[in-house]
Amino acid sequence: MDRSSFNRSAYLYLLPALAIYGIFVLFPILQTIYYSLTDWNGLTAPTFLGLQNYLNLFQDAVFINALLNNLAFIFFYSVLAIVLGMFFAVLLTSAPLRGMTFYRAGLFFPQVMASVVIGMVWRWIYHPQYGALNQVLRAVGLGAWARPWLGDFDWALTAVGIVGTWAQYGFCMVLFLAGIQNISSALYDAARIDGAGMFQQFWYITLPGLRNQLLVALISTLIAAIRIFDLVFVTTRGGPGYATLVAGMYLYRNAFVINRVGYAAAIAVLLTILILIISYFILRLQRTQEEESFA
Amino acid sequence: MASVTFDHVTKKFGDVVALNDLNIKVEDREFLVLVGPSGCGKTTALRCLAGLEEVTSGRILIGDQVVNDIPPKDRDIAMVFQSYALYPHMTVFDNMAFGLKLRKFPKDEIKRRVEEAAQILGIETLLKRKPRELSGGQRQRVAVGRAIVREPKVFLFDEPLSNLDAKLRVQTRAEISKLHQRLQTTFIYVTHDQVEAMTMATRIAVMNKGILQQLDTPQNLYDKPANLFVAGFIGSPAMNFFSARLRKEQGELIIDTGDFAVKIPAEKRDLYAPYVDRQVIFGIRPEDIHNPTFAPPGIHAAPVESKVDVIELMGNEIFLYMVSGKNNYVARVDPRTRFKIGDTVQLVFNMDNFHLFNPAADSENPPAIR
Repeated sequence: MDRSSFNRSAYLYLLPALAIYGIFVLFPILQTIYYSLTDWNGLTAPTFLGLQNYLNLFQDAVFINALLNNLAFIFFYSVLAIVLGMFFAVLLTSAPLRGMTFYRAGLFFPQVMASVVIGMVWRWIYHPQYGALNQVLRAVGLGAWARPWLGDFDWALTAVGIVGTWAQYGFCMVLFLAGIQNISSALYDAARIDGAGMFQQFWYITLPGLRNQLLVALISTLIAAIRIFDLVFVTTRGGPGYATLVAGMYLYRNAFVINRVGYAAAIAVLLTILILIISYFILRLQRTQEEESFA
Repeated sequence: MASVTFDHVTKKFGDVVALNDLNIKVEDREFLVLVGPSGCGKTTALRCLAGLEEVTSGRILIGDQVVNDIPPKDRDIAMVFQSYALYPHMTVFDNMAFGLKLRKFPKDEIKRRVEEAAQILGIETLLKRKPRELSGGQRQRVAVGRAIVREPKVFLFDEPLSNLDAKLRVQTRAEISKLHQRLQTTFIYVTHDQVEAMTMATRIAVMNKGILQQLDTPQNLYDKPANLFVAGFIGSPAMNFFSARLRKEQGELIIDTGDFAVKIPAEKRDLYAPYVDRQVIFGIRPEDIHNPTFAPPGIHAAPVESKVDVIELMGNEIFLYMVSGKNNYVARVDPRTRFKIGDTVQLVFNMDNFHLFNPAADSENPPAIR
């Protein structure tokens, strides 16, 4: 068989997958990019606007505020979740404990729950009257601290953020657990003889040994924080006011509540670009580190 | 520099007894090798000494100090691990300097010691590399270097050569011996390889199943093994064993295996006389069995007829795998020997160097009759 006919039959085999990918992924992406350049209410014919939607977005105080809220969620989704996941992973691997599997499974459990379910559960925990949190506070004499957590302008963002941390740390923990188990125990023996205490062992052996897992955790939690929607939708819908409004939620409002589909498409495109940029920089970080160690 | 003492040390992991009442006194500046098959407790003994495992009972002393409750870092020991355990993200320099940094040594002192150790080991040019950029032999040197810079009282080696290829192993073996002479420090070295043990040790502790079998110089272990286990473990190819009966015939003592019988030389008769008409195990090393043509003069040679089963040419010697009735044995004979497979030939046993073991005293591991 000559090369050209080989190529042709190769494309033939690729065609079904390519068709499905084209119809359900590529085409919608291109469509979204197109709509982002139009004024469209989702029903009548769109009118072409050029980059006007994007220019408007950069002057839209609500959108800027939403992006800042996303930034806050990065703290809860990424930073806090990674720190907490690391803490539990180290705790679970450092001392042999009875019922270790139980604790591992228990700590990982939030990760397997649908975020809608997580949101519902925490809405009950945060409930002003019947919520477990306020009841506990009242029971221990801290009733003055009790408040409608999700309805409080100062606390709503933190309250939802903590739910996010709770939903994300299990993933980080499992990543780190797997990573730690790959670190040779002889390294810890050597470090103990060299004179390293618990913290130094963590700093000089565990942490560098988890570099790749940390990058994976960072990328996936950052992306999750930027595209967060479901948790906010279930708990606060962005309220009170714009206190917990995130870009994803704002996109949803524009597209399906006030029918500014073109504007919503522009938000979607911007978020995608943002995620691509962040991923690019993290992956570059990983690559330079690898080059360093192979140099 | 210090002596090391295991004083009635027992270590249990759950119900498993890894060390059973171990008593060893390692003298200052000695090169002691702990040897035995895997699972014999040798590595556990080393880890207990390093402080990486707690002993269940008994005392461990470094010098005059009981170290049972002293953490590893304060025991003034350094250890070379089988896997080398180099910190993967640190350079060779940092790997060697790590222990000194943690002990807050001044920078120029650290630099001086690392460079000196690197020079001893011939790794000066590798100091800026990471462990993954090194060959196995280079990593092994770095691991040794990390131990040297600490200038500890006692060096511990846990099978440090087992990840090297055969040629490098022989070379590194000699280097470690040289290092011991140069540093004049107590070395405790764990290995499963009896050749390493024989070539490097000033004394060897042979262990099996958590129990010390014999502690002696390499030559004494070879010449006077205390029991069947040590006799079979030290020497390669291993000593041949035959179950036999002692009988007395016209004033002579005869070892009778059923397939062949050999005479005990007159000067050893008194020693073995009490075992007449009793079951014994007769042991003789392959190198004490000769082709009669090339047998050394003046030995008490006892002729034995057997059939040649397999011939292995080694160049400088020949291993003959012999069959005599129900008994198989190995002979290590002169390379000029011209036997053919299937030949029934006569070999001679050198009865100056044989061993008898008494299975009545301990059926699992019969002690030598001395």
